[in-house]
Amino acid sequence: MQKHHISAVIISILMLAACVVAGVTFLEHRKVEPIVRGPGVTEIVKLSKWYPGLEGTAADTDVYIFKGEAPGGSMLVLGGTHPNEPSGFLSAVLLIENATMASGTLYVIPRANNSGFSHNDPQEGAPTGYHFTLSDGSTRFFRYGSRATNPIHQWPDPDVYVHAASGQTLSGNETRNLNRGYPGRTDGTLTEKACYGITQMILAEKIGLSVDLHEASPEYPVINAIVAHERAMPVASQVVLGLEFSDITIGLEPSPKNLRGLTHRELGDATDTLAVLMETANPSQGRLRGRTDEALALEGKDLYYIKAQQLGRLYVPFDEKGHSIEERVGRHLSALIEFAFAMSSEYPDQPIEINGIPAYDELQQAGLGAYLRPLQ
Amino acid sequence: MPFEFILFIAMVGVFVVCAFAIKLPVSLSMLAASVAGLLVSGNGLGIRHLVEGTFGYVDTILVIATAMIFMRAVQESGALDALNIVIIKRFKSIPALLLPMLMLVAMFPGMITGSSSASVLTAGAVVAPVLILLGLPVAKAGAFIALAGILGMIAPPVNIPAMIIGGGIDMPFVGFELPLLLLTIPPAIVFALVLGLKHVKKVSWEEIAPKLEVETYKRYGPRLFIPILVVATLMVLGKTVPKYFGMGLPLMFLIGAALALFAGKRFNPLVAAKAAVADALPVLGILAGVGMFIQVMTLTGVRGFIVVNALSVPPVMLYVAIAVTIPLFGAVSSFGASSVLGVPFLLALLGKNQIVTAAALSLIASLGDFMPPTALSAIFAAQVVGIKKYSKVLKYLIIPSIVILAWALVFIAYSKQIAALY
Repeated sequence: MQKHHISAVIISILMLAACVVAGVTFLEHRKVEPIVRGPGVTEIVKLSKWYPGLEGTAADTDVYIFKGEAPGGSMLVLGGTHPNEPSGFLSAVLLIENATMASGTLYVIPRANNSGFSHNDPQEGAPTGYHFTLSDGSTRFFRYGSRATNPIHQWPDPDVYVHAASGQTLSGNETRNLNRGYPGRTDGTLTEKACYGITQMILAEKIGLSVDLHEASPEYPVINAIVAHERAMPVASQVVLGLEFSDITIGLEPSPKNLRGLTHRELGDATDTLAVLMETANPSQGRLRGRTDEALALEGKDLYYIKAQQLGRLYVPFDEKGHSIEERVGRHLSALIEFAFAMSSEYPDQPIEINGIPAYDELQQAGLGAYLRPLQ
Repeated sequence: MPFEFILFIAMVGVFVVCAFAIKLPVSLSMLAASVAGLLVSGNGLGIRHLVEGTFGYVDTILVIATAMIFMRAVQESGALDALNIVIIKRFKSIPALLLPMLMLVAMFPGMITGSSSASVLTAGAVVAPVLILLGLPVAKAGAFIALAGILGMIAPPVNIPAMIIGGGIDMPFVGFELPLLLLTIPPAIVFALVLGLKHVKKVSWEEIAPKLEVETYKRYGPRLFIPILVVATLMVLGKTVPKYFGMGLPLMFLIGAALALFAGKRFNPLVAAKAAVADALPVLGILAGVGMFIQVMTLTGVRGFIVVNALSVPPVMLYVAIAVTIPLFGAVSSFGASSVLGVPFLLALLGKNQIVTAAALSLIASLGDFMPPTALSAIFAAQVVGIKKYSKVLKYLIIPSIVILAWALVFIAYSKQIAALY
């Protein structure tokens, strides 16, 4: 055998081995980690109930429904719109495993972009997931996903993404961003179909308030903030005041009219729901971060962000304490409690009363794992 | 000394040793540097990261490979020679008009696709032989189409670096047309004239005719140009009616290549495709290596170290930091530089007009396509004009790059005044 043939065989074997090792990891990422059904969940249905076109696709996702003991208003919580923003997803998980409804109906979609949980963003070096230790000593694992739909499910991206309803153009990779595809359409991409399903659900169930939970990098101007559609402003203002009473500082931003495709704009325009979006500070998705690993996603401590803070480059305070997952989830959950309260005050004939949500201080003291249920 | 700095030095050191001392290909040197980064940072072999990093360039790799097949097919069919004849016959007596026009022709695919490689490998490959016939030295012809590549990539209607930078602060790609035209068209005209005018004499058809292969054009006529026209039309339709024609560049190029089989001289498609991919393979390998390198830099914190240090300069030095770090980081990827450095710098310049500033930053980011080791635009330009060492092309790109930097910085400094003009 000639020398270059031997080299070719060796390189081919090495490449094959690398493909097998990486392939196993990628396939592993598609496994869906369980969420334990809590005492308040009355029904679990698929999003395809509202748009059958999603049935059997990677975009079809679980919708957890909590019917209250008494009638009232309704509220939708979207977690996992961006699966690389753990506090949005984990807040939804804690709701599912702990919340009960005294009145009204709560809808929770923990994996709004279901496909996005099945992969990581290339060149971001993200961890595959993160672990929590529970009170009984067992552990739970959750996946750290991507900002966008998996290209296995929707590919290729166009050079330029054109938002169907407005003609607005964005970078081509935004085609797979769920929070740029609303209100969605039936003859669009898989991501747009998922958006359409969520919009249809809001319309069919006449959901009064829709809250989309997100995280942002600390250098991003809209952070630790609520972004509200103009019709949602009165309720959102009450929430800001309510949180201030609990010493949680949060900003309030109007939904820009010229930035299309996002929940706080399109759901508010296309349906009667009051649409809001919330952001917490997540250094593991930022551009200024140091080493990227599970600890960064959970503890939110980063030396380079401290340096950036000293340079005045951030829009959120950042010191040695970082921004732990308990702080970020605590902010989201506290705001959700305030939203329920504000909706009940604004619309007293349609109360929304949620119980069982861990309070901000409790989460900081006991840790998030204390509020996760052990797997059976 | 921060650990990330030591890691960075280790990765760059391994790359330099592999590329220059052991003389491994650039792609394998990037792989070795990435593995070194993984090992030193305690991430083991991290095979998942090596593979995942390369996936960031799958689409780019497909575009380049199919563009090369298309160009080889068009060349084999005789269409390139025929096009040279048509252009020279028509414009031989007015070089001052011919040169900027050729620059715009070479920029066109980049304007439509947002890819400098698409420009250089398609229209660049058409324009370069004409420039050489008109008297430009081969390396200068390469520099001409390389510049057309990056200016086309930045010129409207499609500018992906600007979209990436804007996307980082939720700014839609709206209102960019005029600043991008102002940023790209004046330099394009100036560079076309400066590079070519003194070489382009008034060409006599009788002098040139013997050098041209006229038989193919005589035999097949304008039908030779059908593949080029179809691809150009599909590119435009892909943008104007994406619902029906948004098929993506790779498929457009393959359709063009298939048409070339029937438009002119007969050729063996398998041999042509194999030769085209063999030509592109070193660059495709570099892209895969760069993907791994970026992933490991991000994973280990080297990226954060670089970005935060770039932002650490005093405000007066901010412009210097922009001028130095964005093109340097562009050595690994101009799109990567747009995202990793373009967004933080735009945030650091929030007091400026955001559209003009983002547009100018995108122009600076495009210079990454001239920066070794990837230097996509320069490498492809050298390949198109038939030069083995792309450094010969690069030599003629240094001064234009400085001019482009200065031009873009002026736009940033006076962004509000420029925005007030329109």
